[in-house]
Amino acid sequence: MRPFIIALLVFFSAIPLVARAEVAIVLNSGEGTISRIDRQTYQPIDRFFVGREPHHLMSLPDNSAVIVANAVSNDLVFLDPKTGNIIKRINHISDPYQIAFSPDKRWFVANSLRLDRVDVYDARDFHLIKRFELASMPSHLAFSPDSSTVFITLQGSDQLAAIDLNALKIKWVIPIGKTPAGVILTPDGQHLLVGVMGLDEVAVVDFKKAQIIKHISAGKGTHNFMPEGDGRHIFVGNRSGDTVSIIDTKTLTITKTFPVPGGPDDMEVSADGKQLWITSRWIRQVSIVDLATDRVVRTIPVGKSPHGIFFENHASRQ
Amino acid sequence: MTWTELILQGFTLTQAWVFEHGVEPLLPAFGLLAYQEEAFDATEFFLVGLGEIALLILLFRPLEALFPAEHWANRKGVRVDILYTLLHRLGFIPLVLFVLLWPLTFKLDAWLRLHGFIPYTLEDIFPSLENRPLLTFLSYLIIIDFFSYWLHRFQHRLEWWWALHGVHHSQRTMSYWSDDRTHFLDDILTGAWFSLLSLIIGVPPGQFILLMMIPRILQSFAHANIRWRFGPFERVLVSPHYHRFHHGIGTGSTSGQQSCNFAVLFPLWDILFGTANFSEEHPPTGISDQLEGREYGSGFLEQQWLGLKRLVRALKTGKA
Repeated sequence: MRPFIIALLVFFSAIPLVARAEVAIVLNSGEGTISRIDRQTYQPIDRFFVGREPHHLMSLPDNSAVIVANAVSNDLVFLDPKTGNIIKRINHISDPYQIAFSPDKRWFVANSLRLDRVDVYDARDFHLIKRFELASMPSHLAFSPDSSTVFITLQGSDQLAAIDLNALKIKWVIPIGKTPAGVILTPDGQHLLVGVMGLDEVAVVDFKKAQIIKHISAGKGTHNFMPEGDGRHIFVGNRSGDTVSIIDTKTLTITKTFPVPGGPDDMEVSADGKQLWITSRWIRQVSIVDLATDRVVRTIPVGKSPHGIFFENHASRQ
Repeated sequence: MTWTELILQGFTLTQAWVFEHGVEPLLPAFGLLAYQEEAFDATEFFLVGLGEIALLILLFRPLEALFPAEHWANRKGVRVDILYTLLHRLGFIPLVLFVLLWPLTFKLDAWLRLHGFIPYTLEDIFPSLENRPLLTFLSYLIIIDFFSYWLHRFQHRLEWWWALHGVHHSQRTMSYWSDDRTHFLDDILTGAWFSLLSLIIGVPPGQFILLMMIPRILQSFAHANIRWRFGPFERVLVSPHYHRFHHGIGTGSTSGQQSCNFAVLFPLWDILFGTANFSEEHPPTGISDQLEGREYGSGFLEQQWLGLKRLVRALKTGKA
């Protein structure tokens, strides 16, 4: 009888432990699972199925949930941002690869990288407003500060496209350089930064004039961005070169570059600004960089082809 | 760290190293940088194939030596099948098929969505499969095997398709290398068949490698020159004996409705559809007209060329 009682106690005491832990959520795109990591102990908690090819995730505008986009399952899964538990699932969202809400919370845009489509939804009820056909491989997206325009990198045709969300029309498409990936608005709202993988650079775009105004040489395979949270600096991952660089958006220069192994991809910064968590895409791990020394101080095993990463207690996105 | 974790870790680091040092640097030169993730998967395909081939040699070569179904003077006839196996399992032919078929399935998928139809996955139809990886794996294995059975029946039933499938059946010294001995046009048709299936039910990405690898190993075993039956399990899993009967001259190795034992993994389909034959006979393999001197070719290119000629003949005259 005693072992049974002990087992029972262990079982029930384990539940609040999991619920209390601050959780990092990692999308293992190659196996359709989520890894949950305890942020205090850096230990993986568990791994569970979420859908086919979950690549990216995004908070709801009111931060009540995190949405995981399952590209091949054609659905969106809502997670509790504290625990990572599944809250609900919305089906029949066609091939959502990269997703984002407009700053005014009116639009929800989903890029279909595989099928060359960009879908604009009403953010209130995820009702499809318009489906755009763009060539080719719509990858990452960013909005203008007034939410009137969404900018899309076209990875297959080396372009940057702008869609007018009020008129629901393609505004312009400009050549941006070989294999563009990440795109982000600078904190002052004046420029777009585009990671151009094939040129190992960040292209700075004046989106009002639809012109590239500067090329910032970065590391090999310049890929994706994440603001440091201080309203000035932005991290950019160089996926082929296994490095991460920091861009000063005031001077539009790279201030430093440090190594991160295994194809650094999506990033998350801790609220205290001390740690950068990065999915190392090719080696099934999350790498944690101590931003005081710019060195990888911890690695955490996760699933196959880890891509998106999120935790609630993160730095400002500005 | 458990043994499984250690092997996985070793494989992951090898794959990352090969990719980052051997594959990724080549992508920009070929204008393929946008396909970095696909190239990473292809690296995995190649390495899994390499490991699989090593496993086949280690497991099945000794068994062929110890329990041969047929005694051969030498293994010269086997050599060409090694080339087929390398081309298939190291990813060269699958890569060509992907390049040829992907645009078609992509267009179809994109067109369907533009018209409001989103293809289903198996989990959409059976939500209870979610979070049950073993059940999902078995479900896909059974469905894929069912479709393989019917594909195989068409390969024998349609004379023009048999003209191509004859490349596979013309092996007189059938061994564990013979599974991939196929005509390239036959490969395209097979690829199209399974592309359509994946459009209907999807393929779980995490299980793709296992869903590919386990049937491939079992199919190699089924072709092996081993005099083995599975006793009480003979009706559960295709044995080397069961499949040898399918390849036997005068038994299964023929076009039209006379053939039998089409099942790839599970004889269940043959039992259900009345095409099973559990005879104890060990017939020689090949095609009956080879005994009358018909040439199917000894080298790779000759086999492909003669297959093409038979196809043209079958389309013109109705007989391969």
